[in-house]
Amino acid sequence: MITFLAKRTATLVAAVLLSSFAVFLIPYVTPGDPVRKIIRSRVAGDVVDDSTVQALGQSLGLHDPLPVQYFRWLGAFFSGDMGLSHISRTPVVDQVMPALGITLSLVIVALGIAVIVSLPLGIVAGLKQGGKADKLITTITQSFIAMPEYWLAPLLVLVFALKLSLLPSAGWNTTSSIVLPAVTLALRPISFFTSAVRSGMIDALEAEHIQAARARGLSHVQTIMRHVIPNGLVPLSTLFAVWFAGLLGGSVIVEVVFAIPGMGRLLYDAVVNSDIPLAQGGVVVVVALAVAITTLADFLHRILSPKVSGALA
Amino acid sequence: MPELVIEDLTVRSTATEPPILSRVSLTVRPGEFVALVGGSGSGKTMTAKSVLQLLPEPLRIESGSIRLGPLDVTNAPETELNRIRGGRLGMLFQQPKRMFNPNKTIRKHLKEPLKLHAGLAGKPADTKVLELLVEVGFEDPEWGAQAYPHQLSGGMAQRAMTAMALAGQPEILLADEPTSALDKVLESQILELLDRERRHRGLGILYITHNLASVAAFADRVLVMDAGKIVESGTTEAVLGSPKTAYTRKLLDASNLLPTSITDVTPQGRSVLTLTNVVKHFGPGKRLGMGKRFGMGKRFGLGNADRPALNSVSLALKQGEILGVLGQSGSGKSTLARAIVGLEGISGGSITRTLAAGEISPPTAVQLVFQEPHDSFDPRMTLRASLEAPLRRHAGLSPAERSQRLQDAMKEVELDPCLLERRPGQCSGGQLQRVTIARALLLEPEVLICDEATSALDALTQRTILDLLQRLHRDRGLSLMIITHDMDVVRHMCQRVAVLFQGRLVELTDTHKFFAEPQHEHSRDLVSAAIPCRGLHLKKMRAAS
Repeated sequence: MITFLAKRTATLVAAVLLSSFAVFLIPYVTPGDPVRKIIRSRVAGDVVDDSTVQALGQSLGLHDPLPVQYFRWLGAFFSGDMGLSHISRTPVVDQVMPALGITLSLVIVALGIAVIVSLPLGIVAGLKQGGKADKLITTITQSFIAMPEYWLAPLLVLVFALKLSLLPSAGWNTTSSIVLPAVTLALRPISFFTSAVRSGMIDALEAEHIQAARARGLSHVQTIMRHVIPNGLVPLSTLFAVWFAGLLGGSVIVEVVFAIPGMGRLLYDAVVNSDIPLAQGGVVVVVALAVAITTLADFLHRILSPKVSGALA
Repeated sequence: MPELVIEDLTVRSTATEPPILSRVSLTVRPGEFVALVGGSGSGKTMTAKSVLQLLPEPLRIESGSIRLGPLDVTNAPETELNRIRGGRLGMLFQQPKRMFNPNKTIRKHLKEPLKLHAGLAGKPADTKVLELLVEVGFEDPEWGAQAYPHQLSGGMAQRAMTAMALAGQPEILLADEPTSALDKVLESQILELLDRERRHRGLGILYITHNLASVAAFADRVLVMDAGKIVESGTTEAVLGSPKTAYTRKLLDASNLLPTSITDVTPQGRSVLTLTNVVKHFGPGKRLGMGKRFGMGKRFGLGNADRPALNSVSLALKQGEILGVLGQSGSGKSTLARAIVGLEGISGGSITRTLAAGEISPPTAVQLVFQEPHDSFDPRMTLRASLEAPLRRHAGLSPAERSQRLQDAMKEVELDPCLLERRPGQCSGGQLQRVTIARALLLEPEVLICDEATSALDALTQRTILDLLQRLHRDRGLSLMIITHDMDVVRHMCQRVAVLFQGRLVELTDTHKFFAEPQHEHSRDLVSAAIPCRGLHLKKMRAAS
């Protein structure tokens, strides 16, 4: 376990370093003078004349070797100095952090809904494999995969906001604003989670130790509660993390449609407006968080399924 | 104590199918060791599952009765059945490690029957868990209790399974091939353990097996089962001593692997395979390093971190020789096989293959026959696709020639070539093991390494595979290295015996000398643990003492 811990932490650090280095290089590989671009993200006023650019470049160390610049940039980044947005001319960190908070709450609520819905559905479908309930659940949840967010979101707005006037159609002002975007975001994870829980249950039911449990006197229900359901849910932990990490940057469509000032929206705007510092800040934060979450999920998986840690330690 | 009585039990799936069990009757009295023997598929396991009323769908009990004392098991309500399963009726399974929930510790497993059948929970249950583990022979019960199933060896897992069965204070124990996955030393230890419980607790044991040697040593009575029927029954002496049916004689013959004419020959001639001071380390720094540093080697089943898997092993395989390599699980047998064929790199020493003219032979001259036939084929590929792969890689033949070579290889191992179109799941274990041998023969090797090639098979199938190997040895002049824990196989097949113990070669001698006067202490253990089938008097002797 300790070997694993060390290895995973090393991988985590390596992934963050590698991706942040790629992000760091953006000003150098995009068209235009990197020095001017970087100065614009560091100095509030507009700088036009070459001599000032030269002087500022010198004082900001923009002529140092790239690795030196990279680590200086990274150091500043993680101490909260992500530079100035090219567009709004305000510190990037002041835009990224609120957006991150909004997206986190949106994703947590969406995945919360997904888990609450898919657990019972998957368990029932798996236990009654091939039965009517299984067919109904599988058909309905699988159909969610075929409902893209850009189609579903307007539909939900049409019905619940415009026709029924139950919920706000867009924005991020009241608690109820979260409902429609979260539901939209939850549908596809629901179908994936349900099918993962279902097949986890089927595998767990077929395991040979289940008959041994019956043979030592556990009733059918006790066996399912103690040995089938806990084992069947293990695969969900990994899938959950993958979705969590994916939705952090992948909620763009929902955020744009519902006009939510979250991370997806922020990255979208940054790219559309070529706002390099904003894009850099957003991407590195999302990547770091995503890697951290999947690593956490791996640890969790090892705790839930000790055989995995034994086999790979 | 009540007895278990099965009368005229008939089990079938649907009315049109032939019955799985047909009018089976048997009785197990308290303190009695009853053996139920038969080939695979004869219905032994289904008999045990009927008793627990845990028949798999769609099997049903059609007629007959099962009684435990006055209780009619066949008509008992489910709540009553849950009380007797794991309570008055304990059960041991064939693959102990697969019978534990991999995500729960041994302690959690043991506490289930304690709670259900003895009403123990919390602290008293924890104490009882340790007592039970000590009783079944755990030297460090505290470690055993907190271990996860995958951390136990096969023998330890079967002991833990026994502890779990004993936790419910059973009157009758159904032991379904409890030792067929274990080596001989462990087998006799487990059977001794069961026998001790029989004497101490007056436990009635129904011992299901295809291994007649252990039956001879332990059982009071034997029932022989073939195709769902009891074909013969009586005292162990009567059934094994003077069998009445042809089927019993066939079973006896298959398990009675006596020395053959091959084994008298002392091999001469050139060496085809020479191992010089071969050393194999796993770790440190790779797999074992951290575990060792943090003192967790034992906990993670990675003990012996500083002991090499192979320690300075030197031996030569002569042309046309059959060499047996013996050793307990963990002695380095499989590592040796994998090192010889190059599946595992070695840390020191050398392995050389020599051709007749003295030149180095190609790597394909040494082929490996794997242990678990079902695990050594890709389940999604047809056997033809699996077997063609090495031919494509090495032989440089046209498609027609390849096809011909496959046909020939199948005929060589006495299989219908139309099996080639099947997938592994559609073949029996015996058929697949033949295909593994056919695969090994495709590249016309000089040496065949058989790593426990027959230990997953029942006695009848094992016998046919051994006969096949002997024929190949005779006809093709193949040199064989037979890696096994089965002393009978060695006695039947091998000219010389090498004994591995903790990664070291501790003995290398002619087979008859080995059985007559084993030199090393571990060899003596092996020889004495091999229960000879002819020792029908063993049980009586033990009863007298």
